[in-house]
Amino acid sequence: MFEDRLLVWKLKYGNTDALRRIYEKYKDDLLALAITLTRDKASAEDVVHDVFVSFAELAGDLKLKTNLKGYLLTSIANRVRNLKVREQRFTTLNTADINESVSDTPEKPAISAEESRRIRNAMLVLPYEQREVIILHLHSCLKFKTIADSQGVSINTVQSRYRYGLNKLQTILNGEVRK
Amino acid sequence: MNAAENIEKVIKKFYAIKKSSVRTSMEMDEKVLDDAMLAYENNMKTKKSDLKPNLWRTIMKNRMTQMAAAAVILIAVLYMLIGKMGPTTWAIEQSIEALRDYSGVYMAGTVMDEYGTQKGCELWMRANKSLTSSKDTIIRVDNGVIQWVEDGSTYTYVPQNNTVYYENAVIAGMSQWPGPTLLELFAFSESTETIRGINPATGHEQVTLLSSFIDAHGTKSYSITFDAKTKLPVELVEWNNLDRRGAPAFHIRQITYYEDLPDSIFKVEYPTNANRVEKELTIPESSVGLLGDPQDGISAEGLSRQEAVELLLRQVYQAVMNEDFDRLRKLCPTIATVSDEFLRYLMQSEKPELRTEEIVEIGPIFKEGHSKIGPIVAVPCIIRTRGGTLREDKMIVQFRNIGGKSSCVFHGPYGMPHEIE
Repeated sequence: MFEDRLLVWKLKYGNTDALRRIYEKYKDDLLALAITLTRDKASAEDVVHDVFVSFAELAGDLKLKTNLKGYLLTSIANRVRNLKVREQRFTTLNTADINESVSDTPEKPAISAEESRRIRNAMLVLPYEQREVIILHLHSCLKFKTIADSQGVSINTVQSRYRYGLNKLQTILNGEVRK
Repeated sequence: MNAAENIEKVIKKFYAIKKSSVRTSMEMDEKVLDDAMLAYENNMKTKKSDLKPNLWRTIMKNRMTQMAAAAVILIAVLYMLIGKMGPTTWAIEQSIEALRDYSGVYMAGTVMDEYGTQKGCELWMRANKSLTSSKDTIIRVDNGVIQWVEDGSTYTYVPQNNTVYYENAVIAGMSQWPGPTLLELFAFSESTETIRGINPATGHEQVTLLSSFIDAHGTKSYSITFDAKTKLPVELVEWNNLDRRGAPAFHIRQITYYEDLPDSIFKVEYPTNANRVEKELTIPESSVGLLGDPQDGISAEGLSRQEAVELLLRQVYQAVMNEDFDRLRKLCPTIATVSDEFLRYLMQSEKPELRTEEIVEIGPIFKEGHSKIGPIVAVPCIIRTRGGTLREDKMIVQFRNIGGKSSCVFHGPYGMPHEIE
């Protein structure tokens, strides 16, 4: 937090090293979120590119209402949502993309390959709004308040989407989760 | 653990594993950084080319703008307070206590323009987290002029010429929140006089404190009236001289206190086609005379301006932290007449957690101007307090060339400190 506030302050005075440092610090988190939301690595890279370039354009006048990481992550989510509205492509279940995007990420034994497959498929059944909230909260560790602010909806709406999504996941997985 | 918690845990673990293996490629990094740097540099260049200082100078002759500027009150650069210090005859402790919980204030009254005409105005302020100064301020004058502070900058919208004038410093508001610390300072001033009386309208007993200051804008005198029952200030008058002579520059007749204020009060809307003009950097002519002694300041021989500024400001902060007042006066001649006692009081009156602990960064010179004796520059500094918060101070440094030798002195803060939240 301390470093981020300092980096944002430096950006206001034209410090290009600060911009580089911010990218280096958060690039993997941004890409990971973008891949999870788009389920396509190439699209995810484009999203990260566009979000970070937009961020750089505004950086001199940046007024953060949340922390820097939260700001960047919610920008990724907003960008993906806008693309989704425009292209309507992410609502389609595309297992080829899924497999491709995770093919270079061999999973550790903590969760078996079969369990991963079941979770992935269950997530894809959820309406996009519910899936997005679950991803932002459990994948990117964003608070409900931050998510609500970035989406322009109430915190109650976000929490409801989250709860409904989890309930549905539970029903789908139907007791397959080990207790 | 219930089923909902269990599934949360499983999903979290699933994503943690996925996240840990995602890495950007070198090609992607190169592309993103190249494009981002280009966008950033273009944006910063555009911002710089927006500056039109000559236009600002012309506009400042406009009476509307001057009147709005007159509403910039009470920016008491308190280390420039004059007068020998001692305890006041009026016990102010109860007022200090009464003000402790209020972080919002509304004031209504009149402000005088340069032609001596009184204009109605209202002012809303919200304190920073530490209750040491105002963070958000909005002043509305009844002819439509609006001045406000946002994110460390000050803006003045003048509807008559559809222009927003701005400067990258907090120059509106109060550098001591109208709370305990300000009252303690008044209480400490030997120049403060106390008058007791009855308000004929309310029948309440009231106490009036009279005091005189010199601040960054010149000579000031004040009268603050307290309701003896509630202990809260109820009236505030400011004159631009030391002896409360003639019509006041600012007269607040109504003050209302709030525990907090909503954000909406500080939202300002103005036409999207309004011109934007940045104010040029100046210092009061009255202080230029104090800055020309070759014995003061530090040598800037062989140093770039940025290097000289950094060296000077580090010494200033070090002198403050060490309470080395002789050194401080040499670096900052505008406080030459202020006593050790008062400087020490000012530093110790700050809560311990708000005192300067470390100079985190001295930023680049972001603005330049000229006084009669040479170039002046403004520089932002980031300070870490003992409590761990970050504070931005913007400072003005005067460069001189005396006898063929280059040197610089610290003039003083550029506006008020700004807490970085």
